Amino acid sequence: MRTLIKYELLKILRKKSTLLIMTISLILTAFLFGLPIMQYQTYNQDGVLQGTEGIKYEKEQASQYSVSLTDEFVEETVQEVNELFQNPDNVGFDGNEKFLIGDAYWENIAPKEKLLRLIATNYAEQGAYAGYNSLPELDLGGGANFYEARNEKIETILNASSRDMSEKQKEYWREMNNDVETPLRYGYHEGWEVIITSFELLMFAILSVCIVIAPVFASEYQAGTDAVILSAKYGRTKLITAKIVSSFLFAILAFTVHLIVACGFPLAFFGVDGWNLPLQILGTTIPYPLSLLQMTLINLGVIYLVVIAMAGLTLLLSAKMKTPYLVLAVLVPVLFIPMFLTPTGIAGIYNQLLFLLPYRSTMPEFGKYVSYQFGGLVLDALSVRAIVYTVLTVISIPFIRLFFRKHQVSA
Amino acid sequence: MELRLQNLKKQYGAKCAVDDINVVLTPGVYGLLGANGAGKTTLMRMICGVLKPSSGSIRLNGRTLEELGEKYYAHLGYMPQDFGFYPDFTAREFMLYIAAVKGIGQRAAKHRTNNLLQMVNLQDVADKKIKSFSGGMKQRLGIAQAELNNPSILILDEPTAGLDPKERVRFRNLISDFAKEKIVILSTHIVSDVSYIADTILMMKRGKLLLQEPMGTVTDCIEGKVWELLVDEREAMKYNGRFSVVNLHHENNAVRLRIVSDIPPSKKAITVKPSLEDLFLYYFAEEVESERGGKQ
Repeated sequence: MRTLIKYELLKILRKKSTLLIMTISLILTAFLFGLPIMQYQTYNQDGVLQGTEGIKYEKEQASQYSVSLTDEFVEETVQEVNELFQNPDNVGFDGNEKFLIGDAYWENIAPKEKLLRLIATNYAEQGAYAGYNSLPELDLGGGANFYEARNEKIETILNASSRDMSEKQKEYWREMNNDVETPLRYGYHEGWEVIITSFELLMFAILSVCIVIAPVFASEYQAGTDAVILSAKYGRTKLITAKIVSSFLFAILAFTVHLIVACGFPLAFFGVDGWNLPLQILGTTIPYPLSLLQMTLINLGVIYLVVIAMAGLTLLLSAKMKTPYLVLAVLVPVLFIPMFLTPTGIAGIYNQLLFLLPYRSTMPEFGKYVSYQFGGLVLDALSVRAIVYTVLTVISIPFIRLFFRKHQVSA
Repeated sequence: MELRLQNLKKQYGAKCAVDDINVVLTPGVYGLLGANGAGKTTLMRMICGVLKPSSGSIRLNGRTLEELGEKYYAHLGYMPQDFGFYPDFTAREFMLYIAAVKGIGQRAAKHRTNNLLQMVNLQDVADKKIKSFSGGMKQRLGIAQAELNNPSILILDEPTAGLDPKERVRFRNLISDFAKEKIVILSTHIVSDVSYIADTILMMKRGKLLLQEPMGTVTDCIEGKVWELLVDEREAMKYNGRFSVVNLHHENNAVRLRIVSDIPPSKKAITVKPSLEDLFLYYFAEEVESERGGKQ
């Protein structure tokens, strides 16, 4: 079996097209995940700081906003911003809203503007984003009550009629939210944010893996080698296993190389700082009690299951269809049409299915409260995706075997 | 060993590609003759278990292909017509890969690969990629892979197609070497290839088995039906239109014609000893003519 797997892997790796597709795909992945580095820009009094210079500056500022988000801290921060707005010399007005100018902005706001936005948004209406300049409008007479505001906002999300959540689903999310440790810790986390918000760009890696393995069975039909291998002792048994194992191995290895490039670039330039910070620093209403690293790993686990299931689907089509081109004619739309479909909410069959399609399944969408109820059992999107893609893989294998075993060599 | 094909039939819609074949094969070389489209390849694919018959059975020593499963395939060596190779593999890698699919252990596979590559005279290019091989080299590699498991049933579909005369001779010798104590079925429409090496001739026409005769007596049925006569060039044209002319040879201002016909083409015609080629033309004159017409 090992020999068969070795040669099946060789068949995949030796093709010039494999090298070409992998090279293009890796360059594309490096470019897409390198863009946030190249385009990164931050500001200080002297102007714009771009790329690595900007990243370096941002890291230097990190000590100013690496804090624990206690009610006291929030209260003090809001108070400070309020005081800055009290001085008319500090305030500008663009006709719509007030904002801080000069040293008041550069020294007090700029280094921690993202943190201030997070605090302000926590008190804003559900779905609305608020800037630091909305902080003076907050009435914190009775204390910051930062986490009470967070809980109220979560309740608003859970009870929104458009979400059509059952009591079980609401309870599921409430319980999950209860496990979120407070007070939240905030700090520099740029690298992880880039990774977490760019997962869907790995679709190109998934497609390239599928393109490479599309000929695994179909090219045997196309080249006429099917007659030789199907008339050999293990042509209908061990060889099929070897083809499946080697294809999955290739898919996992090739995808891992893409992943190293995809995660390597942001982490090398932005640093790994922030790996242990809670996910809620990306949005306070996120229910998952996980760190940035934990969510990254969990979502990567789901993506790996998507990769393997898509590899399984590719092999299934390859075993059934006469040429690799036909395989891709079916597969490419399956992978890419969902890119153009936007969910209209989280309820309803359309939306629920959309969140399970390959493209959407690469995105963690941890703040959307997407859940599925099966009788008394409630599961979140990540769990359902993991189950769906595992089941798809398991189902595809016997069909791959069946299609190749039953293949008839004819003119 | 006995390979029995019983009421074997393959139907594609209304078209019957192989029609009720009944034959018992024992060790020996069988030349399977027939014009293009006669059903030779379909029959071979069914024997190799890569195409399911519409009805009938294939039995090896009394047991059906389905009953034997992997055991049946272990007896088999198959060289299909025009089959592709893996261009990025070397000849050695290809042989070792096929050996693995045939369930041959690594050590034995290496040994057998070396021997066979030497036998087919590819040892010097064993580590060269197949994409650099000529048609003849690929054909030799094709027969070598079929022989890897030392099969007791060796099926060769048009193995000499596209080869030059020198390579065809080499190929015939190779097949003779491999054929000992095996059932070898060799399909071709190049009659001279089988006339040297076949023990038995199987002739197919429109899916049916027309004839199964030992090589020594296969032409007996057309004894007295093969004629030769010397005519002038103008007359030769006339004969060519009316009879199946096997051969036409210019001698000074005259033409010597070899004709297959149930009746004497002329009072001047004399009967000669029939050959396999005469027999082929006797049965397939129509097909050969239409092929010639197609090519023109």
